[in-house]
Amino acid sequence: MDNGNGCKIGVFLCECGRRIAPLVDLKGLEQKLAQDPAVSYVATLPFACLTPGLSNLRQAVAANGLDRLLVAGCEARILLKKFEGELLSAGLDEGQVDMVNLRDHVAQVSDLSPEDKAAKGFKLIQAAVAGLAALTPTVREKVEFKGPVMVLGGGIATYSAAQELSRRGIESVLAVATDEWEDEIRMLHEHYPGERHYYDRLKEIMKEVDASPYIRRITVGELTGLTGRTGSYQATFSDPTGGPPRVHEVSAVIACLDGQMLNQGSNFGHDGRNVICHTEAEEMMWTLGVPEGKVLFWINDYEAGHPEYAYLSSRAAWSMARYMRSHSPRTQVTIFYNHNMSIPLSTGERAASRQLGITWVPYDGSLRPTVQTGYVTYCDPVSHLECEMPWDKLILSPRRSVGHEALKVAQVLGLEHVEGHFLEQHKQRVRPEMVGRAETILAGSARYPCDLHESLRQGRRAAAGVAEIAATAARGELYAPRMVCVVDASKCIGCGLCKEICDCGGIEPVEGPGGNIPRHVDPMVCTGGGTCAAACPYHALTQQNNTTAQREARVAALARGLAADEVLAFGCAWGGLAAADNAGVKGLKYDPRLYMLRVSCIGQLDPSVMARAFLEGAGGLLLIGCPPEDCHHSYGLDHTWSRVNLLKKLLALCGFDRRRIALAHADLNEPEEYIRTAEAFVSQVAALGPIERTPDNLEKLRGLYSTVNNARVRWVLGASLRRPWEDVYPGNQRNALIFDRDFMGVLSEEFIRARVANLLSSEHRPFQLSELAAALKEDEAPVMESLREMVGEGLIGRMHKDGVAHYVLRS
Amino acid sequence: MIKFKINDQQVQAQPGWTVLETARQHGINIPTLCYHEAVEPSGACRLCVVELREGDWSKVVISCMYPVAEGLNVYTDSQRVKNVRRWILEMLLAECPASKEIQALAAEYGVGSTRFAVHNPEEQCILCGLCSRVCAQVVGANAISTVGRGVHKQIGAPYMIPTDKCVACGCCVTVCPTGAMRSRFDAVRGVPKVVLAHGAR
Repeated sequence: MDNGNGCKIGVFLCECGRRIAPLVDLKGLEQKLAQDPAVSYVATLPFACLTPGLSNLRQAVAANGLDRLLVAGCEARILLKKFEGELLSAGLDEGQVDMVNLRDHVAQVSDLSPEDKAAKGFKLIQAAVAGLAALTPTVREKVEFKGPVMVLGGGIATYSAAQELSRRGIESVLAVATDEWEDEIRMLHEHYPGERHYYDRLKEIMKEVDASPYIRRITVGELTGLTGRTGSYQATFSDPTGGPPRVHEVSAVIACLDGQMLNQGSNFGHDGRNVICHTEAEEMMWTLGVPEGKVLFWINDYEAGHPEYAYLSSRAAWSMARYMRSHSPRTQVTIFYNHNMSIPLSTGERAASRQLGITWVPYDGSLRPTVQTGYVTYCDPVSHLECEMPWDKLILSPRRSVGHEALKVAQVLGLEHVEGHFLEQHKQRVRPEMVGRAETILAGSARYPCDLHESLRQGRRAAAGVAEIAATAARGELYAPRMVCVVDASKCIGCGLCKEICDCGGIEPVEGPGGNIPRHVDPMVCTGGGTCAAACPYHALTQQNNTTAQREARVAALARGLAADEVLAFGCAWGGLAAADNAGVKGLKYDPRLYMLRVSCIGQLDPSVMARAFLEGAGGLLLIGCPPEDCHHSYGLDHTWSRVNLLKKLLALCGFDRRRIALAHADLNEPEEYIRTAEAFVSQVAALGPIERTPDNLEKLRGLYSTVNNARVRWVLGASLRRPWEDVYPGNQRNALIFDRDFMGVLSEEFIRARVANLLSSEHRPFQLSELAAALKEDEAPVMESLREMVGEGLIGRMHKDGVAHYVLRS
Repeated sequence: MIKFKINDQQVQAQPGWTVLETARQHGINIPTLCYHEAVEPSGACRLCVVELREGDWSKVVISCMYPVAEGLNVYTDSQRVKNVRRWILEMLLAECPASKEIQALAAEYGVGSTRFAVHNPEEQCILCGLCSRVCAQVVGANAISTVGRGVHKQIGAPYMIPTDKCVACGCCVTVCPTGAMRSRFDAVRGVPKVVLAHGAR
């Protein structure tokens, strides 16, 4: 049998031992599915997931030419990967296999009769089948690595990265500002003070890099552009001699960026001569030698507001103190530290410190020490006496920041920078297989404050990561993940909304920043969150193999089958769905009137999916995501809140109850709380009763559906979504109320326009204003306003008959 | 096609199947704890034992890893098997007395109490390692494993501190046969902190 979409769908019901079979009437379910024209093949297996069951699946696929497969059994979170892996050889790719959790969402969680459970399972299976039928599978995309790896940014990690790449036999290009590596060591203390003991080892690395045949060094100016995608990038640099910009074709980019050390302000008495910072002290030792007299290191990071850097500062101070004492015995060195921190020395280092006569003096952190000429007054943490500490040179901890140069490079690389933070990015907590390239390939202290050792380690690690991907690509085994976003260049107008919302950094313009250029997605970076696709005002960005069209088909099929008091729900695989799975595993019983569909992030739900549910007859829609601030992708829950808010406003405009749609969150480890959420919503919707399917209501719901697909509405909605660089949701009430008022204005305008357009297109005849207003049951003034605008935009035509204006839709 | 008998019933299997898979395919129930369809079997809990008879001689093996062979004579519920399972359940009752799942399973075999010493009446975990296998083979995160050795062995992230390797998918909680992972989960997922320098947090 064919279902009109040209695909053949096989459904396999799993008995799962005693956990599904006696509780659900599988025989009746199988008969019902066999009569469904959308299903080509149906069978019941004792265990579809075990070796015998899997060979049955493969045989059925081969014998019946199935190209989509649905297993109605247990958790997709756990077993879908096994089915996908086993069926790859049978020609079914990721996305062409789906699962319905018959066991934990139907069989185990209620006391319904087996027949009623079979009826519930049937509706869920129908929905999944509709979703599979709407799938347009893509070809697996192979990623190739062309050209050498480029190490840029000029940070010191350049050398460790290049060394690692060369040891693994991978060609690299080092983009450096100067050819003289001795100069780099001379100026290294600007970024990493107190690392002299490391210089010999660093020189060894530099020599190895210098001698390696795999490494080419180029002298470049500033990085001005980086385009392309993993495997094939074009890096553009300005010419330091003033020539035309140079473009380099490279396969991957490792950015080595060193952070900047700034001096403390005058609030610590900094004057640049006697009260200095680490970098200045190092510079002084290079030029003037070790100072004599009393040198006092004050680890003032607590007072400067960054206690987390005290470890780094005290390590640097210890290293410099050791150098001073061993080169100038007449120097007295004291390290002055907040008693809230511990001395960051190993046992051996403590012994060395004692031997060298370096004193560590703690002070009471609750009182801020005061700098005065020649001494610092402080409170002793034991006796609580005020004491004085004399000094000839006072050396303060530096202030750390990303630095201007590093920021410029980061901007070109498309790294999002949050004011007051370093470049280390929020990491999406998703399964490793969901991302093509594990992390942003960034090394150095601009990523987060660190010492030289850590910086070099990061460089090696980044290089090892790149080398592994490159080796996989060289074997021809590197494939991009299949559930990633793609841009339809014919629809994209290059507005950049998706780029602003995307926080995995996968979306970039094709050439250079700015301009109305269609964006494109690097499939190796995209994590498949999909909130960007749900936000696109023009539906130009879609998630391949997991599209909004599929979700709409799923929701439509389910909503059509629901009874008046039954409720549709979407559960996020990290929150709501997982909580529902766990409720089933624990055998908790709850209201069976909840029908849950699976999404991998609640942010994937386009408002059109929500609108479609109501259009097709759902009385209530519940969206269950992750706990707040716990979204695994970006800000799925925040974005969904905005979308639900849109739906609520539109429901109110239609005259329906706002409570028919609700956003909720569930912790997967608290299935009891999930049940409370579900039951509260089901009883709330049951109390409201169904939305009557009268012609008037249907007309309004069609208007609602058209409105959420309107580009202007989607634009205004997109503008309100939380951005990745916003640390907390800016739910400022004053702005919220102003936004609310304007948003409501846009919605009521577009709602009427959509309904006018729907009415004119459904009946191909001219309408008078009064007729239109009567048909829509609206006042004439707003309808007239919409008509005037639509005529002005050329959407509808106006003609006069007997002196009365008539309106007709332009084809 | 391999032919052999389970509980005197003639069954057929393909090479490469295990006794457990064949039994399940033929609707014969064998209880399991550490076995999960999504991962490779590990044979940790021994609850799936069956008896193989050859004339007057018989041996007890774990069915989840025992490959099928021509002419086997398997008994899944014989007196000897029941005895072994009762011993295992009695030991499990002493190891994790707080687990409702284990209590229910023990009651099914008529084991109401244990003669072994109970060290921790709050314990739920049988240390079967299913959670860590799922984390490695299904999720690919490798966030949890057994930590420590001998009587100090427990399940958790390395050094028992929350790890950023954990993606908080909760697969370990879902597959846990005794419900023990639920209380351990928060100590694994946590909120990963940014490491500021090697050694410092």
